[in-house]
Amino acid sequence: MRRDDLDRFLRDDDIVPSSGFVARVMDAVHAEAAAPPAIPFPWARALPGIVATAAAFVALIAGFVSLAIEGPASAATTTTNLANDTIVAWLVVVLLLCTVPVAVSLRFTRTLVNDD
Amino acid sequence: MSAADDERAVDRVLQGDLSAFEEIVRRWQGPLVNMAYRFCHDRGRAEEMAQEAFVKAFRGLAKWRREAAFSTWLFALAANLYRTEIRRIPPRTVGLDEIAEPADPRGTEPDLEDREQRRLVQRALKTLPPKYRDALVLFYFHGMDIVTAAQSLRLPEGTMKARLSRGRDMLRRKLLHATR
Repeated sequence: MRRDDLDRFLRDDDIVPSSGFVARVMDAVHAEAAAPPAIPFPWARALPGIVATAAAFVALIAGFVSLAIEGPASAATTTTNLANDTIVAWLVVVLLLCTVPVAVSLRFTRTLVNDD
Repeated sequence: MSAADDERAVDRVLQGDLSAFEEIVRRWQGPLVNMAYRFCHDRGRAEEMAQEAFVKAFRGLAKWRREAAFSTWLFALAANLYRTEIRRIPPRTVGLDEIAEPADPRGTEPDLEDREQRRLVQRALKTLPPKYRDALVLFYFHGMDIVTAAQSLRLPEGTMKARLSRGRDMLRRKLLHATR
């Protein structure tokens, strides 16, 4: 097929919108205008959770880094190992706890949006 | 209706006059439905997609920054929506090999043959990877204007040209394979 033919077949392919198209669009637009505005994400409520999660992540990474650096030395004493394990366990718990408010906020927002 | 009329209509809509949006819909319904039709080749779906594009435009009217013409903004928004929609639910495609050959190609009317070839091209177009198909669809929709088509796809002109060239090559190869 020649380039001209290809151009012609790809270019000339117009249709005319149906007669009720404008009315249907305007109905949808009126419905959109009448709908209450979308509920914004509750940043104020979620922010403490997000900050706490970020802080917990940083603390967790710092904990792992310090464990890796002190590795052989700290491994020498069982007491230190136990202390480190406790710290890591606490960090994990805190991290999990911090995700709860964020998840609840997201779920709450989604439910409200779906209900609308 | 000119670009200035579009701008005035948008101002009125933003001030709460919804009837002004009807002017916009009346002016741009043809191009938007046609652009959608080029993506899906289904009249009903094209109108649904165009309706969604108008509603989205209405919702985001305040975001039009007036750096470019209203039509440029509207086409870019519509093109983006159509591409997403087509990716979400691809149009039903039939392999080129599945299209029946005319019983006697020598005996077909020229316009019938023309229509058959057009159908073949459209089907081949649907089988192209989205980035090449989108480039071709928008290039031909915009009357073969690379600059406007690139703006609708939010691509640099050079990338648009490369995709068009590669898309045409792929299309030609597919058609050659199908007509062998």
